[in-house]
Amino acid sequence: MARMKFLCDTERCIECNGCVTACNNEHDVPEGINRRHVVTLKDGEYGEKSMSVACMHCTDAPCAAVCPVDCFYTTPDGIVLHDKDLCIGCGYCFYACPFGAPQFEEQNIFAARTKMDKCTFCAGGPPPDNSAEEYRQYGRNRIAEGKLPLCAEMCSTKALLAGDGSIVSDIYRQRVVRRGGRPDTWGWDTAYDFKGSKE
Amino acid sequence: MKKQLCILATLLFVIALAACSDESREFTMHEPGVYKGGKDPLLAKERHQELNDRFMKVQTDR
Repeated sequence: MARMKFLCDTERCIECNGCVTACNNEHDVPEGINRRHVVTLKDGEYGEKSMSVACMHCTDAPCAAVCPVDCFYTTPDGIVLHDKDLCIGCGYCFYACPFGAPQFEEQNIFAARTKMDKCTFCAGGPPPDNSAEEYRQYGRNRIAEGKLPLCAEMCSTKALLAGDGSIVSDIYRQRVVRRGGRPDTWGWDTAYDFKGSKE
Repeated sequence: MKKQLCILATLLFVIALAACSDESREFTMHEPGVYKGGKDPLLAKERHQELNDRFMKVQTDR
């Protein structure tokens, strides 16, 4: 059985935030929510690395383990989804998730926390596929259309991969072998020629 | 009399306001470890090959 996975190749991610924009646009994500975000380590320093992070659709998802109303379910493809009609917005999943994937809209005037929102691997939710109700609650269902998540499909440097975990890992393995432990032909070394300036 | 009318008007206003609420009156009895949400139509579909074909078309290295 296939398991759908995301993988971000940090040697290729250029922190363009195109994945974040594509996600927000595709799913008409409410204000204050970013289902995907780009994390940059050593920003502005030598060895800077960026990584696009969203729900990693864990095999044994901690969000599902802590949910007091059991609103999570996993598809046969390993995509972790949830039912917003069951969610009570308690926020436990937010504390349990090591990737910061669960998101909540900014508090309204009555200070009530909203239902949890997270990356769906572009697979929508329980309402009928690509219905208006599904789009309103979860965004577009690209998986039902035979497509993969837009964030990965539009990634200009192919840093973000999304698909069957075995194929994704095979592509990454080939890249690592091809690099031979060195960075790709783009990246910090190429752009700023640090190797040359050190000599 | 005026006070009674005022109370009645307030009550009517509150009832009318509550009637406008679009919140569902249904509830779900929780059982630990049991998912009682809606059934996702996606669960019944087999799209493995279709998605793999899509991956090979769109995401493989140039």
